[in-house]
Amino acid sequence: MQIQTTIDDHRIAKLAAFAIALHMVEAVIPSPLPGVKPGIANIVTLYVLLKYDFATAAWVSILRVFASSLLLGQFMSPTFALSLSGALLSLGTLWAAQHLPKRYFSAITLSILAAFAHIAGQLIVVRLWLIPHASVSYLIPIFATAALFFGLINGLITAKLLYNKTQLLESDKTEHGST
Amino acid sequence: MLSLLRSPKPTFKHMLIGDWLTIIFSVMLTAYLFQTLWSHEHASKVQIRIGDKVYAAYDLNQQRDIKVHGAIGDAVIHISQGKVRFSKSPCHNQYCVHQGWLTRSGQAAICLPNQISLELIGEQKPYDSLNY
Amino acid sequence: MRKWPISLIAIAIFAMAIAGISALKQEPLYHTQSYVFGTLVDISIYGEPEERAKQLANQVLQDFQNLHNQLHAWKPASSNQPSELGTLNTAFANGNKPINISPQLATMLIDATDLSVKSQGLFNPAIGHLVSSWGFQRDEFTAVNIDDTKIQALVKANPRMTDIVVKDNTAYSTNPNVKLDLGGYAKGYALDKAAEYLRNQQVKNALVNIGGNIIALGQHGNQPWRVGIQHPRKPAAIAALDLADGWAVGTSGDYQRYFTLNGKRYCHIIDPNSGYPVQHTQSVTVLIPPQKNAGVLSDVASKPIFITVAEDKARTAAMLGIQYFMVIDQKSNIVVSNALAHKLEWLDPEVKKNSHVKLVTLP
Repeated sequence: MQIQTTIDDHRIAKLAAFAIALHMVEAVIPSPLPGVKPGIANIVTLYVLLKYDFATAAWVSILRVFASSLLLGQFMSPTFALSLSGALLSLGTLWAAQHLPKRYFSAITLSILAAFAHIAGQLIVVRLWLIPHASVSYLIPIFATAALFFGLINGLITAKLLYNKTQLLESDKTEHGST
Repeated sequence: MLSLLRSPKPTFKHMLIGDWLTIIFSVMLTAYLFQTLWSHEHASKVQIRIGDKVYAAYDLNQQRDIKVHGAIGDAVIHISQGKVRFSKSPCHNQYCVHQGWLTRSGQAAICLPNQISLELIGEQKPYDSLNY
Repeated sequence: MRKWPISLIAIAIFAMAIAGISALKQEPLYHTQSYVFGTLVDISIYGEPEERAKQLANQVLQDFQNLHNQLHAWKPASSNQPSELGTLNTAFANGNKPINISPQLATMLIDATDLSVKSQGLFNPAIGHLVSSWGFQRDEFTAVNIDDTKIQALVKANPRMTDIVVKDNTAYSTNPNVKLDLGGYAKGYALDKAAEYLRNQQVKNALVNIGGNIIALGQHGNQPWRVGIQHPRKPAAIAALDLADGWAVGTSGDYQRYFTLNGKRYCHIIDPNSGYPVQHTQSVTVLIPPQKNAGVLSDVASKPIFITVAEDKARTAAMLGIQYFMVIDQKSNIVVSNALAHKLEWLDPEVKKNSHVKLVTLP
């Protein structure tokens, strides 16, 4: 039996694979506090959103969360829950924010907003389930700073990738045949 | 796509006015979070001990009366606007009630006969133990 | 791959910040608070695994409870048996037949007598009857009717520690009016015993607080143990200081055990010469450098200084060999010895503002 795949499926698979790879690389870097990571895989999500559409970005993001957790042996673990909750809230925010006028708001804004939404999603899971204690509030300012910092950097990277059209668009066209 | 790995150092030339607004707003939000959640001035909680056990720790940012049962009877502990005090106690001399409001981290009030102690805890106590 | 260094640097900065915060959370500090010895006891042990620290602390608390039972100055209403001290007091009252006492109590009596003599009788644990007539030999204090005649009679009876003869673990008194109340000695003694026990158990760092009297062992991690000194009239610390290894601090105050009558405060520190509670002083704090009976001195030495009048306090301190002391009088004026002033950090905003702190050099 063969499943019929479309060009979109190929694209999603390729992008998701790339996002997973980035996630893996980042997983190897030790972080003293779970949750404080540069989140470079999110660059892929954002890039995909702005280059293609929300549906594709959502697929890439969710696939990345599931596949990464399976590969890291964290499926159904608290880490998975954190990853998923962060991704879901972040996607929701992107879905709303993507309609912001492109004249004033670039990928940078989206990245920062998504980053804050991401940590919010994670902190909710932490507070309600993992560490139901008021002392969690001490972590919030740290996470917020990380979200701001890495959100900005990831956004700048994404913007650079998107808006320096030349090489990338060409290579994409030849790879996929169409946009 | 692999060209992403060869991404050059990001520059700010892509920043639009909305982006700056986002950044400013985010910085303000983060600063606000540090302010409220990491406040150093006031103690954030009161720890109530009965006998040698910690009974509970309550946030000071509320208005409530807590009834606790000690060695000789029930006492009432009153929390209001970041301060706490014994408002009622079954002890004879009422020293604990006369201690008045506790407001800063490290301050404590004890009812010896009833074996109840209140202590304000913040992130850092100014000293390890109190000589009295 | 020039984007990596930025992330790495950022990670490094965050790692340091978070390591700092996690360090705060993961201290190997064991702390327990308990109502023993008729008062609040606080024990902190640093650098021991929790189970061991718990065991050690429990043993110390148990020892305190035993000491308390042994030295109780009045029969607790709940138990039927008097304490060893109570039995001794009864024997004293009934005549001068020697009775057996434990070697520990014998040592205590000899030591207390020595200190009493050194303080020219100002530290006088033999005035139990006076203490009791002021109503301070109870768990809670109410105003008592002041019977001056009775008080004068008790003063005239002149019970002194030197009336007690201790020999071969027996004791008797030549004066039937002697009633021992080791309240101003027992806490200090317990502190010394606790410190000795912990040291024998190879504990390097601990802080023991019995009813306000504190002795320090080692440090709190990388920093010395820090101790606050209670403000006599506010639920806050008036000053703080570091307590290094072996140092002890004690305060006698009029704000813990007292009653008010007709607007006047009567505290539990009684002048043996007048028979009346001291009213000119709010608190006296003494700091004792490391020595064998640092705990005892931290308890005992503050009383004579508390009792003497303002002009004589410095002289009394010198007489007892106390170099570090602070006096807060009834008007809240503060007098500190130079040596102690250098160690104190003032916490009270009023004191910091007015600086009405007088420094004294010892004669």
